[in-house]
Amino acid sequence: MWFDLQDDVGDSFELEAKGGVVVARSDDSALMALADSQRLHGVTAQKVDSGELHSLEPYLHPDLHSGVFYPQDAQCQPMLAAAHILRTVIARGGAVISHAQVKKILSHDGVLHSISTTQGDFRAPIVINAAGTWAGEIAALAGSHLPIAPRKGFILVTEPTQHYIFHKVYDSDYVANVASSDADLQTSTVVEGTRSGTILIGASRERIGFDGSMNYDIVRTLAAQATSLFPVLRDVNLLRVYRGFRPYAPDHLPVVGEDAEIKGLWHSAGHEGAGIGLAPGSAELITQLITGKTTFMDPAAFAPARFARVSI
Amino acid sequence: MILVIGGGPAGLAAAVAIARNGQEVTILDSAPRAGGQYWRHRTRVDGYKSEKSAMYLQEVAQNPLIHFISGANVWSASRVKDGFAINYLVSGNELTVTAQKLILATGAFDRSLPFAGWDLPGVMTPGAAQSLLKGHGVLAGRRVIVAGTGPFLLPVATGIAAAGGTVVGLYEAQSPLRWALSPVALLLNPSKFAELLYYAKQVRKYRIRIQFGKGVTAFDTHSAVVSRLSSDLEVVAGSEEKIECDVVAVGWGFTPDVTLGGILGCAQKVDLDGTVIFNVDQNQRSSQKDIWIAGEATGIGGSDLALVEGEIAGLDCVGIGISPSLAFRKIRKTLFARALQKSYPVGNGWKKWSRNTTKICRCEEVSLQDIADSVTDLGAFDSRTAKLFTRAGMGLCQGRICSRNVSEIVAGLQGCQVSDNERIGYSNRPIATPISLGELSDGKSTK
Repeated sequence: MWFDLQDDVGDSFELEAKGGVVVARSDDSALMALADSQRLHGVTAQKVDSGELHSLEPYLHPDLHSGVFYPQDAQCQPMLAAAHILRTVIARGGAVISHAQVKKILSHDGVLHSISTTQGDFRAPIVINAAGTWAGEIAALAGSHLPIAPRKGFILVTEPTQHYIFHKVYDSDYVANVASSDADLQTSTVVEGTRSGTILIGASRERIGFDGSMNYDIVRTLAAQATSLFPVLRDVNLLRVYRGFRPYAPDHLPVVGEDAEIKGLWHSAGHEGAGIGLAPGSAELITQLITGKTTFMDPAAFAPARFARVSI
Repeated sequence: MILVIGGGPAGLAAAVAIARNGQEVTILDSAPRAGGQYWRHRTRVDGYKSEKSAMYLQEVAQNPLIHFISGANVWSASRVKDGFAINYLVSGNELTVTAQKLILATGAFDRSLPFAGWDLPGVMTPGAAQSLLKGHGVLAGRRVIVAGTGPFLLPVATGIAAAGGTVVGLYEAQSPLRWALSPVALLLNPSKFAELLYYAKQVRKYRIRIQFGKGVTAFDTHSAVVSRLSSDLEVVAGSEEKIECDVVAVGWGFTPDVTLGGILGCAQKVDLDGTVIFNVDQNQRSSQKDIWIAGEATGIGGSDLALVEGEIAGLDCVGIGISPSLAFRKIRKTLFARALQKSYPVGNGWKKWSRNTTKICRCEEVSLQDIADSVTDLGAFDSRTAKLFTRAGMGLCQGRICSRNVSEIVAGLQGCQVSDNERIGYSNRPIATPISLGELSDGKSTK
């Protein structure tokens, strides 16, 4: 779907199907079982042995022997993607009103009426809430309820280096940690190069609210995990650290669909760390739902109604 | 333990004040020797009143209560149980020092403005020319132009001449008559006349030609374009002349280094000259308990003010009251620092010195046109969004050199002013100096 979007918007955001490699640490049975179930869902997941693994990633630690290769895994520069998509929206007659903070969402008898923002009031029968980590607050403004919480993460960015890393390389713990509901800190490595030559190292996950403070112990842990996968990175300098808040839903599934209480209020939120990757799919799905067309997949699992208020 | 970060005039004055009151103090500094950028004496080339700096340097070397850790690059700092943990690198090894009280005297670095050719070899800052000369005894080039604005140009030009270099010209962009705007500051600081006289003699001795209201607006290998400038740094049409030279040392004042205090959460504000500085009280206390800040990081003011602020920070840190005479000296020097800012302003005319192809961010090679496109085509509205779209400021220097210039360019294209929040945003970064992933991996948790 990203490549369709690229055809539509133009080759402007460094989209590349570079492929992903999940590296097994010791016991690879859980990873292989996961790959089997992904194959059933149509994902290309190829089991690779030691030789194949090291020809995919020659700088990988020699003690790592097995993994799964996902040739469809892709990467893009998300800021450029967002900017170019917005530009296309404007070119096609859409209006983009920036610096508009939503103040009020008015509805009558459970039907959405209008919204008030710092840039004026807008009357609209349909409003899509795609406010990311703040989507829960938007729902609350409308008098509804959406349990989206922040899951904080750090990403390390190195200086530009020569080409050491050829795919997105995940530690197999990564898969388990993303699905974990533990509020405590988890760190598991994903390492990838970018077109500008820098290497990105993620990712930590912790649920501590909107606490933007720096934590150098997490930085050290991420560095240690990355260098244990790729010893060659020991001599590469860290330049900066990003902090951010992923929009997290209690069951780790996105919320895509109409609000359970307010008609006309639609949500596309809670994609956690996969929002960029899933954006074209979520957009397609919500468009089909709003326009009453047949959906390309069953949207039931993403329905906001699954978080309906528990009555007291 | 008391830890001073930065071994320039402010840091040394703080350490001396602490040691004279019988307490131990450790200074961490990134340079091989004490003195900071301004007192980096090594060669025969000394500046005005070098005996004053010699006194401090000697006391730091000889007082057994003062420990000096040189070559230490601090990359991060955090508050820990009963104090602070400071993580630093010394020749490839990471070490951590803990302290109950911190005095930050992190100084400042030269401000550079872009112009056509400023990314060529042969263009450097006056600070770089001076550190080559004082730190390594190396002349930046045979025929040198010193240009920009501010009194720091004088010791750099006379230092180069004294070391045997040819100063082709010293171009001060502002008129000396601007000092007339600050008569009180001048009257309260008569010692400054003596300093001026000293440099006037040096200038005459080495036959350096000083020209006011001019600046370097373009450079090509072995020649510079020198233009007449308005007080806002606009080029006066038709005034450009080509002057042969090997090196141009150009500086437009200084940018305080606020990284460490920022990491530790010390409150900041925007100074009159648009630089980001720390909020401190009359005793140099920052908004954070047990952290004092002295010197350029509380506002660009030169070494005299830095010495007074350092002494006050050191005394207050060990619980000694500040005498009225010291407090009055701080007021006098602060007035002089304000007068400096008024006398050497940096207007926005420099934006027209660049061609569309001129690299505004030299690390990531982002041109003026790239930045303009990010605003007009992609909707960038501040230096942060322009950075995300173009990579300007994401390179090795992490925007220390270009981010202020990028923000002024972006604001100019939108016809607005750079907000204080944006200035504070681009002046801060979580990693104070690059550290290898190997060093990070081996380091211990500080909890």
